[in-house]
This record gives sequence, C-alpha cells and structure tokens, in this order.
Amino acid sequence: MANPIKKIMVYIDGTEQSVTAAQYAICLASFSGAELIAYYVINTRAMEDLLKARIFLQDEQIEYEHDMEADSERYLNYVHQLAAKKGVSIIKKQSRGSVHREIVKTVDEEEIDLLIVGELSRIRSRRDEFYDETEQAMRMVNCSVLIVKDEDKVWEMYESLG
Amino acid sequence: MALIDLIKEETIKIPLVSNDKPEVLRELVQILVDAGEISDFDAVLKSVQEREDKQSTGLEEGVAIPHCKSDAVSTLKLAIGIAPQGIDFNSLDGKQSKLFFLMLASPKQAGPHVQALAEIAKLVRSKAFCNAVISAENAQQVVEIFRGD
Repeated sequence: MANPIKKIMVYIDGTEQSVTAAQYAICLASFSGAELIAYYVINTRAMEDLLKARIFLQDEQIEYEHDMEADSERYLNYVHQLAAKKGVSIIKKQSRGSVHREIVKTVDEEEIDLLIVGELSRIRSRRDEFYDETEQAMRMVNCSVLIVKDEDKVWEMYESLG
Repeated sequence: MALIDLIKEETIKIPLVSNDKPEVLRELVQILVDAGEISDFDAVLKSVQEREDKQSTGLEEGVAIPHCKSDAVSTLKLAIGIAPQGIDFNSLDGKQSKLFFLMLASPKQAGPHVQALAEIAKLVRSKAFCNAVISAENAQQVVEIFRGD
C-alpha cells in the first residue's frame, strides 16, 4: 500500500502546545517522507470584532495586527529551524482571517492528508466548545486530525531523530 | 489559553468600592497585585491609564474592558470587578459602568490577548449574561456563571 500521508499541515498558534505539535509533525514527516507545511493564521476576524465592539481603536487594531505578524514570523521561523536541525524541509504558510475558516480552506486548497494540532485546553466551560478556534477547525476540516499530547515524550522523540 | 483559565476567585472583587474612573483603575490593578499576579503596580497602572487617555474602554450597557500591553507581565492577566451601584467611567452610552474586565498582556502575546478580548466581547453581548454576573453575590458565583454551570 502506498503511503496514505503525503502532505501534513501543522497548525502553529504561538502556544507551547503548538510547538510540541510541530516537533511531532517533523518526526512524522521524517519517518513518512511526507511534505510538511507549518501554518499560522493572523486572527484579523477577532480584531475586526473588537473594533466593531469599540474595544479597539483603529490605530490599536493596526498595532496589534503588526504584533501578530511579528508573532507569526517568529514562530514560523522557529519551527523552520526545528525542522532544519533534523534535515526536514518545511514550508511556512501564513494567512489572515477567521482562524478555523482559514484552516479549513487551506486544508482543502493544499489537499492536506493530515492536520496536526497541539493539545487542547481541558474543557472547563461549556462555552469553551463554542469559542475554541482549533476545536472548531478540527470538527470542520475534511481530513484526518492528529492531536499531539505528552510534551516530554514528543521532545524525546524529536531529540532522538537523526 | 482558554478564557476560563484566566478567571479565578482571587482576581474577582465584589463590590468595587471606588467612586470614579481613576479610583476604579487603581482598584482593578490592585486586585492583581493582591492576588500575586503582578508586582509592578505603578508600571501597569500607567499603561492602563495611557490606553484610557486615548478613548474610554467603557462600552455600552454597563460594561467596561480596560486593557493594555505591559512589559510588567509575562502572561495574560485578568481581573474582574463588579460595582452594582455603577461608576462613571466615561462610557460610550453615558451610562454608569457596573462590570469591569481588566485585561493585561505581554507585548509578545498579541494573539492570545486578542483572542481573550474577543471571547469577552462575545460574552458581554448577552444582556442576560451580564445581568447574571452583576447580580452575583460572590466570586465563586461569578466563576460558576463563566463556566456555564
């Protein structure tokens, strides 16, 4: 049987959990030979909502958008370095908009076989289910999803990669 | 980090005792100092006041969401204050503010900061939710309301 996973996308959101997910994705790409994309979404939808609600000022929105662009660059570069250290190629990709919608759209456009995400926060509120962007993306994407857990184990696996 | 992870009994105060805007900003920052969440009261207050000087974060229907980026914090911080009597906060609709959310973030945490503020913005769109929080008798009840218990 041919390798069913030819293209992997790992979602990076700046959390430690997403960096762990990236380490796992790098290992998996190395073992499987799959193409790997690291993906970050600048949540402009939330910023527009904050502007509409008058919580943000126009110049504040612009400032935060620049901050988020810098975050995106920083984290994607970091993941790129993690992959380079292990001799794995990684494509950095960024978009802007509503996080879960952008993830769903990119999974389709890139014909992703496997979406990898970091461990989700434990559900402590019924409202979390509605507001967690990653969880919404997981429910809506048209590909298989892998949730990475156990930071220490993943770190060991990443470190032991040749 | 989910919003609920930021909501702790120790960082909720009912009732706020302030009578005006400068006082309530100080009282909200002090909640975080007392809870051991921040140590540099002056630096945080200065950042919060600078943001308020641009335009009040007193919104409509009794809700205010003062917020700022500050080097004095390394992770997201949230204090909730409730003033059932209402406090003049120069709100957009001219009404007294009763429910205050003070949100602080490190300048390097724009994403989580925006996400948390957006979650609060969604929640306070519900009048019923705001009324329930404002009517809470203690911090434990506020946490329960946010959990949806």
